[in-house]
Amino acid sequence: MARAKSGGAEGAVATQADPGEVLRAPAEVKYAEELEWLRSIDGDARPASWRLSPRLVRVFVLGSSPSDRLEREIRPKFFGDPGTVERAIVTLASDRGLLLIGDPGTGKSWLAELMAAAICGDSTRVVQGTAGTTEDHIKYSWNVAMVIAAGQSRESLIPSPIMTAMQGGLMGRFEELTRCSSDVQDALISILSEKYIAIPELKGDDVVFARPGFNVIATANARDRGVNDLSSALKRRFNFVQIPVVTNKKTEREIVLFRTKELLARNRFEVETPPALLDILLQTFADLREASASQTSEDDRLESALSTAEQIGVLEDAVLHGRFFGDGSLAPGALAKSLVGTLVRRIPEDVSILNKFWHAAVAKRAKKDGGAWEAFEAAGKDALEGMK
Amino acid sequence: MSTPTDRDRADLPISFAPLRDQLLAAAGAFAADAKALGHILGGLVDDVERAFREPMEIFPVCHHSPSSALHMARRLAARPPRAIFMECCEDMRPVVEGLRDCRAPVALQAFASTSEHFPAAWSPLSLVCPLTEFSAEYQAIAYAMETSGVELHFVDRSADHVFQWMPQEPGALEDAVPDDPDAEDQDAGMHGSAVGVEMGSLVPTFGLFRDVLLKNARVQHFSEWWDQYVEEAVIDGDYPAYRQVMFLIGSLFRRLGTAEPDRREDELRERHMWTRIKQGLRATGVDPKDALYICGAAHVASRVAEFGLENDALWDVPPRTPTTWLYGILPSSYSAISHQFGHPRGAVTLAETRWRKGIARNGLKPFAIQPRMKGRKGEEEGAAPAKATKPKKAPKAVPPPPPIEVAPAPDRLLGYLQGPPPPVESDEEELLKNCVKIVELARNNGYLASTADGIATYQTAILLANLRNRRHPTPYDFRDAAITCIEKESVPGRRDVARLCDVLLGGDRVGRIGFESLPPLARDVYARLAPLPITLESRTIQRALLDFRKSPELLPCSDLLWKLRYLLPQNVVRPIMGRRELGHVPQQESWDVAIGQNQGAVIQLGYEGMTVEHVLERRLKKAAFDPDARAADALRAAEDGLLFLGSERLVEELGERAVDLLTREPDARQAREIHTRVTRLVHYYRTTEAGLPAWLKRFVTAGYSHYATMLPNGFADRGVAPGDLAAMLQFIFTLESLALSLGCERSQLVIAVRQAGPVAVDPPKLSILWAAECVLRLRDVAGLRARFDALAENELTLPALPEYLEGLLLALAFTPLVGGLTVELLSKAFERLPDRLLMPWMPKLLRMLRPHADAALPVLVKEAAAVFPRGLDALEGWTAPWDRTKAGPSVATVEAPRAAKGPTEREASRLLAAFPATTDALATALGLPAVWSADGPSPSPSDAPRDSEHEAARALLRDHPATSIAAASALG
Repeated sequence: MARAKSGGAEGAVATQADPGEVLRAPAEVKYAEELEWLRSIDGDARPASWRLSPRLVRVFVLGSSPSDRLEREIRPKFFGDPGTVERAIVTLASDRGLLLIGDPGTGKSWLAELMAAAICGDSTRVVQGTAGTTEDHIKYSWNVAMVIAAGQSRESLIPSPIMTAMQGGLMGRFEELTRCSSDVQDALISILSEKYIAIPELKGDDVVFARPGFNVIATANARDRGVNDLSSALKRRFNFVQIPVVTNKKTEREIVLFRTKELLARNRFEVETPPALLDILLQTFADLREASASQTSEDDRLESALSTAEQIGVLEDAVLHGRFFGDGSLAPGALAKSLVGTLVRRIPEDVSILNKFWHAAVAKRAKKDGGAWEAFEAAGKDALEGMK
Repeated sequence: MSTPTDRDRADLPISFAPLRDQLLAAAGAFAADAKALGHILGGLVDDVERAFREPMEIFPVCHHSPSSALHMARRLAARPPRAIFMECCEDMRPVVEGLRDCRAPVALQAFASTSEHFPAAWSPLSLVCPLTEFSAEYQAIAYAMETSGVELHFVDRSADHVFQWMPQEPGALEDAVPDDPDAEDQDAGMHGSAVGVEMGSLVPTFGLFRDVLLKNARVQHFSEWWDQYVEEAVIDGDYPAYRQVMFLIGSLFRRLGTAEPDRREDELRERHMWTRIKQGLRATGVDPKDALYICGAAHVASRVAEFGLENDALWDVPPRTPTTWLYGILPSSYSAISHQFGHPRGAVTLAETRWRKGIARNGLKPFAIQPRMKGRKGEEEGAAPAKATKPKKAPKAVPPPPPIEVAPAPDRLLGYLQGPPPPVESDEEELLKNCVKIVELARNNGYLASTADGIATYQTAILLANLRNRRHPTPYDFRDAAITCIEKESVPGRRDVARLCDVLLGGDRVGRIGFESLPPLARDVYARLAPLPITLESRTIQRALLDFRKSPELLPCSDLLWKLRYLLPQNVVRPIMGRRELGHVPQQESWDVAIGQNQGAVIQLGYEGMTVEHVLERRLKKAAFDPDARAADALRAAEDGLLFLGSERLVEELGERAVDLLTREPDARQAREIHTRVTRLVHYYRTTEAGLPAWLKRFVTAGYSHYATMLPNGFADRGVAPGDLAAMLQFIFTLESLALSLGCERSQLVIAVRQAGPVAVDPPKLSILWAAECVLRLRDVAGLRARFDALAENELTLPALPEYLEGLLLALAFTPLVGGLTVELLSKAFERLPDRLLMPWMPKLLRMLRPHADAALPVLVKEAAAVFPRGLDALEGWTAPWDRTKAGPSVATVEAPRAAKGPTEREASRLLAAFPATTDALATALGLPAVWSADGPSPSPSDAPRDSEHEAARALLRDHPATSIAAASALG
């Protein structure tokens, strides 16, 4: 990925890459033209080094409405409660970090990326939290060869994405914060409080200060609760914003279509999703969620979170299958097989749960509504049969 | 509807021509089809003009809008009307008088316990119309009640019509009734499952319109939109501007924001209202200029023919159904109102805050309903009369105040539409105060909140308001900010931050119904519980300790509490110590009383009767005389009648019904409950001086005969459970002596058991039958033992042993005779049953024994204690009695040695031996051999010489064992 730094008036770092040359371009590259246009018309006050005012960040993320009185339409990129997005945006303008918390597949990372792209034009300053993440990944590390050759100096220091964000007044992102151990998480405390990182190994010039506009957007999986709980000190420095699972069918339909189209665009083709099949997918997931909620034991629930992201995965998989191994169109059978393949993670437990569901809910709908449901039911049964 | 002419327009005090021109110009500029949009926008102005032209002044309102209430108070003070016509159910008008003793919020209620004219699933029918102090309707009611010569008319459709105009389907009511609130939000459920009506409901029902409205305004709820775009703009405006804005918004919502079914219903209501207005004006002769019509703003855009006083069109109001409706006032709460009408939590509280600020800002004195009587200083309404002071005279109604001349206001509608909402008052100080308080509240509720959170909340609220195009944070912004900054991943206590914000911004308010406005039953309850040393009106749970030895005068209170316990939901009155049983004389009791919290439940009980006893009697009779009632239901009602009312007349009536039902019982499924209750009643009545009442005697004899008759069929029919069969026999045998003394004949039972012999085939039933035969001396225990031994020894029949045992266990309920045998067979089963049979049977056995723990287990334990060794020492040489019987040469050797005869017995034996003639004659008469033995046991039947044929067969098998060995191998 080609990247060039350009010091703007606010000292922002612009990331440039040809969307055609990378598998997945970051939001600021993908929507570069839109962001540039919004910036050109933005007359509102902007906090610190923000490239857009909070109002236009909101418009960029949630899309425009007639009341915004914009000359062109801005398509929504995140579908959810506007109040939640507003709370997230104003948090970033405040002194506190933002922690997006929610079930897997609810769009936390996507929202974080969009906000970072809109606010500072760079969403790639990311630390991925894992069990192996160390404090070095959050603060800085050393180029060992240079240290041996010339000793510890600014040149031999490898800044972490967070440190880079501090230096540039950008948004630093921290994915899956709760996957890191608690002592590693606590490295963020001083970053969020004092807004600087001390480098005791250096003599003189041993502090990296954050420039105005710096903040941290972290995400955490609600299902990891209790694994590596945040310390009270760190909690205090973050505003928590819950991203709920989308249950509204209309919104969910919009999300699935939007994201699937985007994903398929990587393969440079488009497949029309028949509305009836999309309805089948959405209804099946809705029924699965209902069935899962009615169970009292974890053993009787699928391991999957049944999130919108999984629906997108199922649809994309089915479309690709139809494209490369079918007649080019999306077929109910391929959708059913993709759904079964995605949701079955434990054999035989998930197969058994899904089998029961198929015979109870899907068969009922196939009998009642007929049409594509029948082919969907038959293909699902076959797929489940093959897994026994 | 004709379009207003230029001449008509010229009559108006204000010209709307500039507004019309601007709207039409806007339609031309923005719409592809300017004609259609122009028609809609022009129509809005037409509606405003038409409303202004009405000779009778129309006062448009919005539900629970403080600006409506403030303008109402101003209008009534400025130009007092002589007649008020109000959008409210016309049949609720008489209830209004009761508001004098109430503290808002309350709800006018119409209630029908049952009706044949609506789907049965809807019963009971309940309709509520909540009233808050800061509503326009409350202000108008207060004015009318406190001003002499003012007539108040409710003109909307009746409660009956509300239900009539719903789709007459069982599930239709569910859509009109809110879901159950959260368990923690108890006050939100104060209206129960009532349908709600509110005056001036303006929430758009057309989904798409509502979505666009909210999305463009960047708000989440309609209440928020209303606050921001209407309430703030008109609350401090002048009266004409208020009317213009409300007319315009009402027209907009009616034309674009109302779903078709709602529009149709609105039209019916408008026809009803205008018809009643015209009739009312004719009847009273009030000049329309002296009258005021208060209705929802959307009703001004009505297209019905009856609209306006310029025409004489009247509607034939459809008749009400013959349903009997009862009316009253229920306590309500802000959370209940929000929940009932789907407003966001805290919306009503915020409206009240705005109202109070508006009053203070404008120096306005709102109208208030004066209480009918005043108690002692500091005493609240709702107190029992015992605690009230001497009633004072009701305040005299004052004549209408002189009208205040109001200068004609300039046209503000155009300004309202063109300009942004005026800046709200600078509540910087209040926002700061709230930010500090929310942190304190959060800390008290378990959050690790600090001053830094207060600062962050303040900052976030300002930023949010800025993002949402507001000059100052609204309470909704403040709440969002507090949630963002304080709420973490979990709620540490009972309340989350959103709830704490509600508490901070005013909290919930719960209404109270004054003593005088309570129905007679509720008043009676308050008066009778007055001796209790608790405050009945308190909103907290009150603990009452009743010591009847020291304070016997509290016994009637206890009686009433038990009755209330029976009639009301479980949380209203709850006994902590004490019980209510037949024959039990209470010494001390302890109660948790929450009548103050659940006043509504007591009031609703008042719809069922005049006194608690009256309601109790009606409920008991209803239970007993229900077409689907069974004997056990009637018997339960009779027992409850005796327990709670002590009325012999009622108990006899219910008891006779129970007898009647018993003779028609088609099965014995309730035999166990019937037996338990009858036994309890018999025991109770035996301790009374009068003895058993006639109905109970009849019940015992009828039960004996009925169950005896059902026995053969019960044994044959596989649909009759063995447990029911045992329960029938339990009734028969445990009450047999009483039944026989009352004229029943045992022969009936003997015949029934004999008839059952050939038809019983199920193993459990066979066991029960054999046990019954033992009781009737038709079979002896030894024979029964031999039979079971044969079963246990045969490999083919051994698997059925648990089922037989099940029957024996059930039989223990009516006879202890088989107790020893059961212990023996259980022991044998554990010893001999293979694991593949024993293991699956064990859980079943335990489950079966559990319900019989009270009857079967004591017998079993007693018998087992007599058989098994009591200590480990004795275990060494212990042999089970049944094994000793087998091992020994004869029964005689294992029988327990006879107890030594006492001197009296020895003397009697000697006398009988000396004069044997009498004994011999008696033996001969009984068919026994007259053999005398000086000492030792008589010969046992087991000592009889063995059958020679059997000996021959055994010898044959011994000599040729191949057949037996092959059979044994085949059986495994």
